[in-house]
Amino acid sequence: MFMQLDVFETLADPTRRRIVEVLRDGEKQVNEVVEKAGIHQSGVSRHLRILLEAGFVNVRPDGQRRYYGLRPEPFRELESWLDRYKRLWDERLDRFGAALEKKQKKGRQS
Amino acid sequence: MSTQTKQPVIVERTYKATLADIWALWTTKAGFESWWGPQGFRADVHAIEPKVGGALRYDMVADSPEMIEAMKKMGRPPSHPTTARFTELSPETHLVITNVIDFLPGVAIYESTITVDLTAKGDRVQMVVILSPMHSDEMGQMQKEGFTSQLTKLDRFA
Repeated sequence: MFMQLDVFETLADPTRRRIVEVLRDGEKQVNEVVEKAGIHQSGVSRHLRILLEAGFVNVRPDGQRRYYGLRPEPFRELESWLDRYKRLWDERLDRFGAALEKKQKKGRQS
Repeated sequence: MSTQTKQPVIVERTYKATLADIWALWTTKAGFESWWGPQGFRADVHAIEPKVGGALRYDMVADSPEMIEAMKKMGRPPSHPTTARFTELSPETHLVITNVIDFLPGVAIYESTITVDLTAKGDRVQMVVILSPMHSDEMGQMQKEGFTSQLTKLDRFA
């Protein structure tokens, strides 16, 4: 259950989370992201680059325009980490139930 | 409760048992060791003091050949000491265990909590375990924003 630090670190920043939120509606140009996220252009550009490098975002050129969109992979990774964590606890509580039964049996015998 | 809205993972079970039996599994050495694990590991408890501020110290020890080998491959020792405290406690109904997470490379030391609430319902007990896992604050915040719960919607971009 050792997680991928990169995914968490990338999303630890609230500005990047804001940008990801905005891109969830579909791909956008930088100026649209600036407008919708309410973040200064230089900040958006910097964080978009980090998101690109971390594999959260891709770019689709269309003539002079560049459209930024989300890639599903890191989100799947995050989700699968959460799933694993949940499973670890499901298994743990299965053992809890088994231990409880054992304890009860022992209690009845003595 | 504010701590609950922040917690990302909730597991819930109902057992046919008494509050005392369930409580003992969380708060005694033999009880805790009998189930904690996780899979491939055992817990060796060195201190368990069920009172507010009381210590919970245990070693997580890899105890299957596969796990020992896996830890070796990851460059980790087969045994890891864990330090925690009981930070809230009402006998047989509520406890919070606060863990100090100091073993993740590249991550500053931080705390994660396990909150347990027990409710007697006839001859059964409902146990709700609320977990604030890794990167507590960020994960908690993301969950609060509905971030993680909506992740699957991104699949349409695939």
